[in-house]
Amino acid sequence: METLFSQTTEAIRREAKDLLESGKVAAFLGFVKGSLPTVTRPFVARTPEETDKLVWNGLCVMNLANYLPGLLKSLEPPRRPGEPPPEGPLPRVGVIATGCWSRNMVIQIQENQMDRERLVILGVDSHGMIDRRKLEVLAGGREIQSLEETDERVIISGRDFKMETARQEVLRDNCLTCVHPSPVILDKKIGPTVPERRVHEPFARIEEIERMDAGSRWAWFQEEIATCIRCYACRNACPLCYCPTCFVDDSHPQWVGKSIDKTDTATFHILRAYHCAGRCTDCGACESACPMGIKMRLFTRKLQKDCLELFASEPGLDLNSPLPLTTYQPEDPDTFIIAGSKKQGTQGGSEK
Amino acid sequence: MSNPSDRPKGSVMVVGGGIAGVQAALDMADSGFYVHLIEKSSAIGGRMSQLDKTFPTNDCSACILSPKLVECGRHLNINLMTLSEVLALEGEEGAFTATVRQNPRYVDPAKCIACGTCAEKCPKKVPNEFDLGLGKRKAIYLKYPQAVPLKYAIDPDQCIWLKKPGRCGMCQKVCPSGAINFDDQPREIQIEVGSVILALGFSPFDPSILDFTGYGRLPNVVTAMEFERLLSPSGPCLGHMERPSDHKEPRRIAWLQCVGSRDINRACHGYCSSVCCMYAIKQAVIAREHAQGPDLATSIFFMDMRTHGKEFEAYYDRARAEGVNFHRCRIHSVLPAGHDDNLILRYVGDDGLINQEEFDLVVLSVGLEMDRQAAELARRLGVELDPNNFVATSAFRPVSTNRPGVCVCGAVSEPKDIPQSVMEASASALEASRVLAPSRWSETRKKEYPDERNVWAEPPRIGVFVCSCGINIASVVDVAAVTDYARTLPGVVFAQNNLFTCSQDTINQMAEIIKREGLNRVVVASCTPRTHEPLFQETLRDAGLNKFLFEMANIRDQDSWVHQKFPDEATQKAKDLVRMAVAKVRQDEALAYNTVSVVKRALVLGAGVAGMTAALSIADQGIPVVLVERKDRLGGHARKFYRTWQGDLVQEYLKGLCRQVEGHSHIDLRLGTSVERVEGSVGQFKTLLSDGSKVSHGAAIIAIGAGSHKPREGRWNYLYGKHPEVHVLLELDKRFIKEDPALKEKGQTVFILCAGSRVSEKPYCSRVCCTHAIDQALHLKELNPDMEIFMLYRDIRTYGEKERLYQRAREKGIVFIRYDLDNIPKVWDEQGKIQVEAKDPILDRPVRLHPDMLVLATAVRPKVDADVVSRAFKCSMTSDRFFLEAHMKLRPVDFATDGIFMAGLCHYPKPMDETIAQAKAAAARASTILAQDAIPAESITAVVDHGKCVGCGVCTMVCAYNAIHLDEDSRLATVDTAMCKGCGACVAGCRSDAVTLKNIGNEQIMAAIEAAMEIC
Amino acid sequence: MDSASDKDQKWEPKIIAFLCNWCSYAGADLAGVSRFQYPPNIRIIRVPCSGRVSANMILDALKAGADGILVSGCHPGDCHYISGNLYARRRFALLKNLLEFIGIEPERINFSWISASEGEQFAELVREVTTRIKTVGPARHLVKEIG
Repeated sequence: METLFSQTTEAIRREAKDLLESGKVAAFLGFVKGSLPTVTRPFVARTPEETDKLVWNGLCVMNLANYLPGLLKSLEPPRRPGEPPPEGPLPRVGVIATGCWSRNMVIQIQENQMDRERLVILGVDSHGMIDRRKLEVLAGGREIQSLEETDERVIISGRDFKMETARQEVLRDNCLTCVHPSPVILDKKIGPTVPERRVHEPFARIEEIERMDAGSRWAWFQEEIATCIRCYACRNACPLCYCPTCFVDDSHPQWVGKSIDKTDTATFHILRAYHCAGRCTDCGACESACPMGIKMRLFTRKLQKDCLELFASEPGLDLNSPLPLTTYQPEDPDTFIIAGSKKQGTQGGSEK
Repeated sequence: MSNPSDRPKGSVMVVGGGIAGVQAALDMADSGFYVHLIEKSSAIGGRMSQLDKTFPTNDCSACILSPKLVECGRHLNINLMTLSEVLALEGEEGAFTATVRQNPRYVDPAKCIACGTCAEKCPKKVPNEFDLGLGKRKAIYLKYPQAVPLKYAIDPDQCIWLKKPGRCGMCQKVCPSGAINFDDQPREIQIEVGSVILALGFSPFDPSILDFTGYGRLPNVVTAMEFERLLSPSGPCLGHMERPSDHKEPRRIAWLQCVGSRDINRACHGYCSSVCCMYAIKQAVIAREHAQGPDLATSIFFMDMRTHGKEFEAYYDRARAEGVNFHRCRIHSVLPAGHDDNLILRYVGDDGLINQEEFDLVVLSVGLEMDRQAAELARRLGVELDPNNFVATSAFRPVSTNRPGVCVCGAVSEPKDIPQSVMEASASALEASRVLAPSRWSETRKKEYPDERNVWAEPPRIGVFVCSCGINIASVVDVAAVTDYARTLPGVVFAQNNLFTCSQDTINQMAEIIKREGLNRVVVASCTPRTHEPLFQETLRDAGLNKFLFEMANIRDQDSWVHQKFPDEATQKAKDLVRMAVAKVRQDEALAYNTVSVVKRALVLGAGVAGMTAALSIADQGIPVVLVERKDRLGGHARKFYRTWQGDLVQEYLKGLCRQVEGHSHIDLRLGTSVERVEGSVGQFKTLLSDGSKVSHGAAIIAIGAGSHKPREGRWNYLYGKHPEVHVLLELDKRFIKEDPALKEKGQTVFILCAGSRVSEKPYCSRVCCTHAIDQALHLKELNPDMEIFMLYRDIRTYGEKERLYQRAREKGIVFIRYDLDNIPKVWDEQGKIQVEAKDPILDRPVRLHPDMLVLATAVRPKVDADVVSRAFKCSMTSDRFFLEAHMKLRPVDFATDGIFMAGLCHYPKPMDETIAQAKAAAARASTILAQDAIPAESITAVVDHGKCVGCGVCTMVCAYNAIHLDEDSRLATVDTAMCKGCGACVAGCRSDAVTLKNIGNEQIMAAIEAAMEIC
Repeated sequence: MDSASDKDQKWEPKIIAFLCNWCSYAGADLAGVSRFQYPPNIRIIRVPCSGRVSANMILDALKAGADGILVSGCHPGDCHYISGNLYARRRFALLKNLLEFIGIEPERINFSWISASEGEQFAELVREVTTRIKTVGPARHLVKEIG
């Protein structure tokens, strides 16, 4: 059956093949089917023939931006640290980008992790990606052996069952609150335009947590990270986590212990989220990658909400706007500052 | 007398320890001359130290001033003489002999530890003149908390003992260091210097002679200076803003402008005091901040609002937007309200009706006048005063007096604000050093240190010195227990308690102990590192240890003094602080005393008056200058000027200046050339010019000037470019220069001031136009006394002594008609005849004029290529596209990037005398670098671990000094150590922990945190 | 139960303060010079600039057992290093909100601006911060148990 996804898949294959055949790119980064019916995996096509394997569907949850700097580097001639880059243009890479991924690419470019010139971006407006866990819940723990997707519906089946649901019901949380489905940088648009979405209460869950008292919030946080095994899949899936030595692996200084001690795990999650402050585009790759189902997106989502509210900053929307923590405004909010010089808040003390 | 063929003296005397004197002293000392700084009170700091905040940045005055004072107090080549006055000055330029009387302090500064016990116990309370009598001090006192030198003094007029020996002597009894010396005597000292700088400051006008103000009779009428103290957190009401009568917070405050200024009739001061409009607005803004919000009513009553400085107009706009009320009228009298000590002001409102308004407090914006003692001193020294009693100077020699070798700076020559004073201070340093250049470094001192022991491979051997500070620490903290405890800490091999760790004998002993015990790290637990760290670090160097192997534990200012009733807790805290310091010092490393060698050449960009003056000022000292000018000829903007406001002809002066530049053997002139690219940093710049050459230079001065705005379109066009008799100011000057005979024939001339200035498109005030236009009008009157002249204006801003032109213009019958932005003048052409219509606000009806000539005072606008220069030198600009100085108040010619300075119109519009002063100031500042073979650089700098750096560039963006960049090849962050100031913004910004700060590294901070939390 | 409340009564909070060298540390010194008294619970660590203070340092202090944190720098516009405090203000705003979000009591994490001339204000600030932290009791959440 002809669907938006199948049409887009065809278009991607065509474009990718064309790019590789014409030599405009040395590799094309997309997705192929995974080993299970509910997953896809990122794939680098290096020959025109390989592009036939590419797919585009609602299971493409891994953020392709994450693989770009490494892929680009692998295509450069090897050089020693400190050695100047070779003269002349370097091989280019074709890649698919949705709204959030393209914004990550913007940040990677802003943070000097890659050059825009080396990318050929096929822009695809995102219809939202499917949360594998929501399918598993739907299947009631039974093994899903096949999955079919239409524009609006998802059909799963297994040995003794076949179920159908609206896509909307099984989309990832981040896709449900996404307001920027269209890529912000691209070289060619593939497939139809999805209008900018107006989401009713995009931060509803965050606000719900904010309304809880401190004790309940701590309890929620502890419960949320209780199953963390410190595998760092969330970090590894994130296109923004590219430090050569992550703070969790560093021993000079050792900000956080290596064990699954409760405090160390909490510290890991706080700092991981904080490192994404003002940079996270809510692509959801971290949650999709987590084997334990931890909703660590909520931590970055909170920071995203604050950046928007405090600094009117949405990361990665264009190449020329500085990231919020690399700039300031003289009039930035400072209501959290308790000032001895101002009388506000200092009347509490009973001392005369 | 000395033999005139002798080399000049290599030293200078600066008289006056206010901000101008301090700046002049620092600039002189830093460029190789020994300085005697003479201050008549017990501490330097002057008027600025009394201010609460400063306009237009609202900086805390004490915060920005203190570091300069401390630097001055500690400078090896500044001999600070407080309580001193100059009696006589003999000799001539190059070889003066000054007689100075040093009055007794009665406190031995070598022994005083500023603990304050004496003042606490002194029974004699007297009004504190620092708080203008609003608060009290004791007969033994510290002038103010941040005083330099931080030494107490006895007021001989108040001290019980000094009046009747034997009667009190309490201070002597309680002083823990035996510093009191009642037998101290005045001394007369002869000082030989090559030149003299007078920085005598001003006195605030005393309004008690003006009965209408009620000052002295009505307690809630205060002067602006008094109000500063009422606002100040260190003032008599600790910043709570209380009014004098009942110590209640005022809810309605009025400011009366021009009290003692612009008033020939009552105050005898015809001049404008320049600063009062801005300080009144500032006080209104700050008062509203103190009162938290809109319920404090603030009203300023003024004649003309004179916000003519950089960023001032924006400040004024903001104040209006925030709700400060401005009333354009002079108050006839301040009347008591008859209840609650409130006051009544009657004034004519905008509607023309008489209003009556009640206020809780009235602030008199008193003017600045020549200090009586300063005037006497000037006369003693043979220095001429002008008719307003200020020291006389001239347009082309703005910091010189009539007596060769005696220079002047600051408000003593004309009322002026802080940045202008600082600029002149640097300029006077340049002027004073010009003749002395051959004797540079001849009288300065340089300290020698022994070679440093390499302790890198040694395990820590830490010595801890715990200070009792007399009883300041020991009366609260159990210092013996702290000392015993220190011995138990890992790495500590020696601990000792001292009565006064900073006393000379203990210092000597400490050096001995370091050597004897083989210490390689030292901790002193005593007072604050802000005052004492340099002293102890010096001791380490004397003992052959690198000075960075040192930490302090602040167990006095931040422990014993603030927990006086909790000895157990304070002792515990002292132990914690010592443990934290030990934990940190253990990881301290020896750091290099960084220096940068200096290329002794200056690059000056722009060959107008500013650029040429700067170039000559440097070249005359024998330092080569490359003078780069984009155009094919010298002279710049000044080529179009007829005369200065003082009446000197500009073209003749300019010709002389050009001749000097062209013939100067040390000036390499590059006309028709511009800057392409700038690399390097202070001491070592490399600049590529458009002629293909590359210039190495140690410093640069940017003086690219500005242009005048030509209103070719829009509502301010006024027939400009369409009618031959419509000019902008400088076009009329051109006709003056040419001596155009047609000018005499004009029957009527109209000037429109602020034509396109102070509006949303061009919000700033161009500072010079009012004076320039009025002077032109006066010249037209000279050419044709019968000419009718009308000036349409918004505020007349003839600040300072320029006010006399305004007075003369009115005397000559020039008619001034005010307009506002709702009713701007209308101009049209009726059969070749210019028609002007304006609304007269006094008559409240239109006035129709038919001038033969219309002159538009348009804005001075920044050069288009200022942006290019800004990018090349990586220096910032204001939103109005003028160059942005490192600090609006105290570094008015420096860029934030070291080694680059600015002068002239590219900084902000200014008249000729100020341009020349600023050019000399820029040359002086550049000389502080160029006079050295090498300049010190920060030792505590950022350092990048390339193994961890991922080249994201966050550090480069948060660095305010362009001191970290991504290496072109490796694409990894690289610190330019010479430019790094060690703030650590990059460290906190780095997600990868790739950047750290030497000796304030993350692991050291962690060690301190963990030590603080350890339970002992 | 008795012993617990007994223990709580005796409990005094430990507070780590990061003060910038140029303004807030000087303000703290001025409080001393002026003999303004404040509770002895605070341990001051001097840093060059509030812009030097990172999220990691604040978390490290909490992990080490601090019951509360105070960070203070120059007022906006007064920064000795031009803009360090303005970058810091953004970092702190986000960090404070995040820590509150995951359940750290807002009373524990305090940011302020204190100038070199605000001695009394510094003393008042320490009093206020100490009181605030006392109201939420000993820190338990992020403290790392050793041994």
